[in-house]
Amino acid sequence: MLEVTDLDVFYGDAQALWGVSVSVGEAEVVSIVGSNGAGKSTLINALMGILPARRGRIMLHNTDIIDLPGHRVCRLGVAIVPEGRRLFPALTVADNLDVGAFNAEARSRRGESRERVHALFPRLSERRGQLAGSLSGGEQQMLAIGRALMARPRLLLMDEPSLGLAPVVVDEVFDVIETVREGGVSVLLVEQNVTRALEISSRAYLLAEGRIVMEGDAAALAESPEIRRALLGV
Amino acid sequence: MARDRGWIGLLATAVALAVVPFLQEALDFASFYLVFLSGILFWTAQATSWNILSGYSGYFSFGQGAFYGVGVYSMAVLFGRHEVDWLVAIVAGGVLSMLLALAIGTIAFRLRSLRGEIFALLTLAVPFILAAVVRLSDTIDGGQGIVVPVPAFPEALGSFQSFFFVCSAVVGIAAVAIAYVMARTRYGWALFAIRDDEVVAEGLGVPTFRHKMIAIATTGLIGGASGAILALNLGFVSVEGTFSLRVPLFVIVMSVLGGRNHWAGPMVGAVYIHTLQNRLADSAYAGWSLIALGVILVLLVLLAPEGLMARFSARPRTVVAAFVATLLALGLWGGWGEPVDWLAAALAAAAVVGFLPGARRAALRPRPADEVGEAEPALTDEPMTAGVASRTLVATGDLTKAFGGVGALRGVSLTVSEGELVGLVGPNGSGKTTLVNLISGAFAPTSGTITFNGADVVGLPPHRIAHLGIARTYQIPRPFHTLTVKDNVAVALVFGRRPHSLREARRAADEYLALVGLSHLTHQLPGQVNLHERQLLEMARAMATRPEVLLLDEALAGLNPVEVDNAVAVVRRIHESGVAIVFVEHLLRVVRQLATRIVVLDQGVQLAGGDPEIVMSDPAVISAYLGREGHARSD
Amino acid sequence: MSQLQAAIFGALSGSLFALMALGLSLVWGFLKIINLAHFAMILLGAYLTFELATTTGMDPILTLVVSVPAMFCFGGLVQMGFDRFEVSEFNSLLVSYGVLIVTVQVVSNIWTADFQRMDPAVNPYAVQSVSLGPLVFPLPTLIAGIFAASLVIVGQLILERTYVGRAVHAFGQDRQIASAFGIDHRKLGVLLAGAAGATAAVAGMLFSLGESLNPDAPFEWVGRVFAVVILGGIGNVTGTLYAGLLVGAISGVTAVVWSPSASPFVVFTMVVLALVFRPTGLFPQKAGH
Repeated sequence: MLEVTDLDVFYGDAQALWGVSVSVGEAEVVSIVGSNGAGKSTLINALMGILPARRGRIMLHNTDIIDLPGHRVCRLGVAIVPEGRRLFPALTVADNLDVGAFNAEARSRRGESRERVHALFPRLSERRGQLAGSLSGGEQQMLAIGRALMARPRLLLMDEPSLGLAPVVVDEVFDVIETVREGGVSVLLVEQNVTRALEISSRAYLLAEGRIVMEGDAAALAESPEIRRALLGV
Repeated sequence: MARDRGWIGLLATAVALAVVPFLQEALDFASFYLVFLSGILFWTAQATSWNILSGYSGYFSFGQGAFYGVGVYSMAVLFGRHEVDWLVAIVAGGVLSMLLALAIGTIAFRLRSLRGEIFALLTLAVPFILAAVVRLSDTIDGGQGIVVPVPAFPEALGSFQSFFFVCSAVVGIAAVAIAYVMARTRYGWALFAIRDDEVVAEGLGVPTFRHKMIAIATTGLIGGASGAILALNLGFVSVEGTFSLRVPLFVIVMSVLGGRNHWAGPMVGAVYIHTLQNRLADSAYAGWSLIALGVILVLLVLLAPEGLMARFSARPRTVVAAFVATLLALGLWGGWGEPVDWLAAALAAAAVVGFLPGARRAALRPRPADEVGEAEPALTDEPMTAGVASRTLVATGDLTKAFGGVGALRGVSLTVSEGELVGLVGPNGSGKTTLVNLISGAFAPTSGTITFNGADVVGLPPHRIAHLGIARTYQIPRPFHTLTVKDNVAVALVFGRRPHSLREARRAADEYLALVGLSHLTHQLPGQVNLHERQLLEMARAMATRPEVLLLDEALAGLNPVEVDNAVAVVRRIHESGVAIVFVEHLLRVVRQLATRIVVLDQGVQLAGGDPEIVMSDPAVISAYLGREGHARSD
Repeated sequence: MSQLQAAIFGALSGSLFALMALGLSLVWGFLKIINLAHFAMILLGAYLTFELATTTGMDPILTLVVSVPAMFCFGGLVQMGFDRFEVSEFNSLLVSYGVLIVTVQVVSNIWTADFQRMDPAVNPYAVQSVSLGPLVFPLPTLIAGIFAASLVIVGQLILERTYVGRAVHAFGQDRQIASAFGIDHRKLGVLLAGAAGATAAVAGMLFSLGESLNPDAPFEWVGRVFAVVILGGIGNVTGTLYAGLLVGAISGVTAVVWSPSASPFVVFTMVVLALVFRPTGLFPQKAGH
């Protein structure tokens, strides 16, 4: 459903990604792993339309979205769980969720989406009136995922969901990702925690210094010594 | 930047102006021209003085009317009411205005949180307060206005107009001369650095508060003296007339039009605007003058914010030729208008030529990343002490930093000794940049100690820490974008640990540029070089402060493999020159190549430290990097 | 005038400045644009009311039917200009200053620089007053107070209770992510700026009810309005109203107790102190609801 071909992304005059090609199918979890500075977040932001300077093709359900401005992309069924959560800190949990459903298609089915999110994250429904900025790290991550789900996406872009979270909480988050996938949503997961990412994915790509250097079946990659070498700089 | 011929032009103008009043009698031209020139000189003084604060340092002020007003009322009260000598009154006007400026500066510049816009609005308020005080106080104005009689001027000058002209000329030329001198000395440089990036300037050792105070004091002094002189010509001063928004508006438009980066910019702008005003006032379009001014301001800010001088400097001869040609043509023909009209037309011609597309000041495209400059061997200034028991330079003790509730750094204790190349590594969010920020003094720790050569450095302002010997670079390079590559480094030398004069600094800068391989780019602007070169510039500039410890924050971010190798070579050379280095890096292959020792952070805690090979084989470290495995999965 | 009367009258007058400040504060807080042209819109709104009422005999308050849409468009157009040229927060100050100067001059050219006032035949409100117990208030001032309070309440309700309001908040807190969830920053910007223009039109109308108009009026408003914006907290709707009442009351009392010329001095001293000690405003917004 997502087919990225030969993507170049720029920050001003500095090129961050060179000829990146990835694909994500229906209801599958695909991981992009790599060390920091490799360009993982850049890829996610470019796909979401947050970064404007791009070249190449991004085909979403056979529509090329490379020239679409950020606020149009979500209407096509893509939602983002940004790195560092980036919730709206002075809005309540409930309001953050509501804003997630802002785009027209999602707005009309807000109630239904809200129920699903509350079922998925019972702790959030307890804290509906609490300011997002005052939640714990794990709760914030849950809220960020919930906000994205409110947009009724068919593709979820997740940028380093495990960042700064305790291992137990990371477990919960990854359980949620699995549940989301079971619900028919595809997930493109960018993660520094390679082990977890590969556990949960069907396929994966290794991004290094702005280029895809390895790709394939996640289980196979997990076994390969190359990943270890690439990440630890052996 | 202006070539050294600027002072010649200035001197010539001064001489020419000095002669004018005497020429008037000889050539018998209307005193109108004296008045006209006096007007230009007055505005030159006001706009130039405004520009010293707002243009040079970037602290935009809407409050020029305050300084002008203090000057006007000093003359009115002292000379007009109390018959104090007019010369004393001029001096008093300047001094009182300067004191006001210092008061404003003391309040405004001490507050780090005072963003540019808030400062601008604060200065918007000051004239209102002054106006209220003046109107309120009967000893000053009391709402009635004050009459300023004609002073007793030296007989040699002949008429009041000549006298007024001479006074205006003295202050006007003095203002431009001061601006010129400042731009070419450390004072101006400090202000340019502050304007381009105040935080970085602080980190390089520039005492920002002091220089901002000097700038605002100068603005006040000149603005006040000039206002006092004008009061002599006004004859009657009132609160409404003095504290209107006219002076603040005009000086802004004049400086923006002429160019805020150049010492002659405000003067050029004054000539243009005053001529325009004069012609509009005379013509049927009197009601349009402010409209024209407003439109000019809008268009300038949107389309040509750098102003006329930048354009004129790109093709000086063509511009001057157009000006002279138009003036001569109209003058010789004599069939249209008067001399001031010819001046207006000539100015317009010059402006049109300046704005023609084409020879913009060599806006080079950033060069392709593969071209990398040749570098020279290391500075053998301070040879590395090999094998000697190295002393500890930086030591942190149980260093902790929490942002809100989030613990970015928790109880980190490490040391950096002479001769080391310490790699600081760890997953995202582990606290590496926070550690760099704490050591360099960008912010204070929540708890814990940091010592440098045994002395406690917690709480010291960044420029003091720079002077002690700690320098840092930024992951996203932050060069001073209006200074050339060479001058970026030179600024660090001027204000660094061993202060240089400007000339020495420019010479010494060459050595540092050679160290990093940028010798071929000395006269480029940072915007014209590519990312890799800008990062090398960061390093050169940091090195120019002659640190003992250099903190490199992800200096290799965004580079391609060729550039990475080059950067590694540069870092090695820097190390060999005797500087201990702490570098934050994600590219682990580079860390293994370079580091004498590695420190691994994870979630704010020091996980491991020691020999690179050993540390990177530590299972705890590996698991931190690759990620811990999840709970048992029932696949 | 007793101090109580002065305080209350001052507060009511201050509410007009709160209304003037409202649009400016919203645009500054959410769009990060300092729009001095806002004062141009207030001025135009006032003169439009004057002109329409004088030439057609329309009730001054009814002129809002014309002036509100007109200023909505003006505000929206200026915002589109800012967007198109990607004007920074700082340059917006300069550019809007230019727009203000041009507008003032145009107004002066059309209506002359003389003070103009609506004839009582056209503006029946100006000569009436209302007694509340021992206190007497001119009708225009009361009307201003009512309008200001109503608009602030409506604005607050929209911001806090409606979907669009939440989108505006989100946009103000994280523009990029808000955009990622479908909030079109261009449309939102124009909408907000237009709304600000609408409030400016109302403020202008209210001003013309009770005061004489002259083209230089904006320069007298600037100081007090910015005082209200800063004291109320940039982007804080109810804070703006409270700050307006406070500034008005203090100005009024100062005028009676000390001297009318001293009021600006006191107010601006407050502003300076606020900037030093409480840069986010005197009335921090309540957390959550």
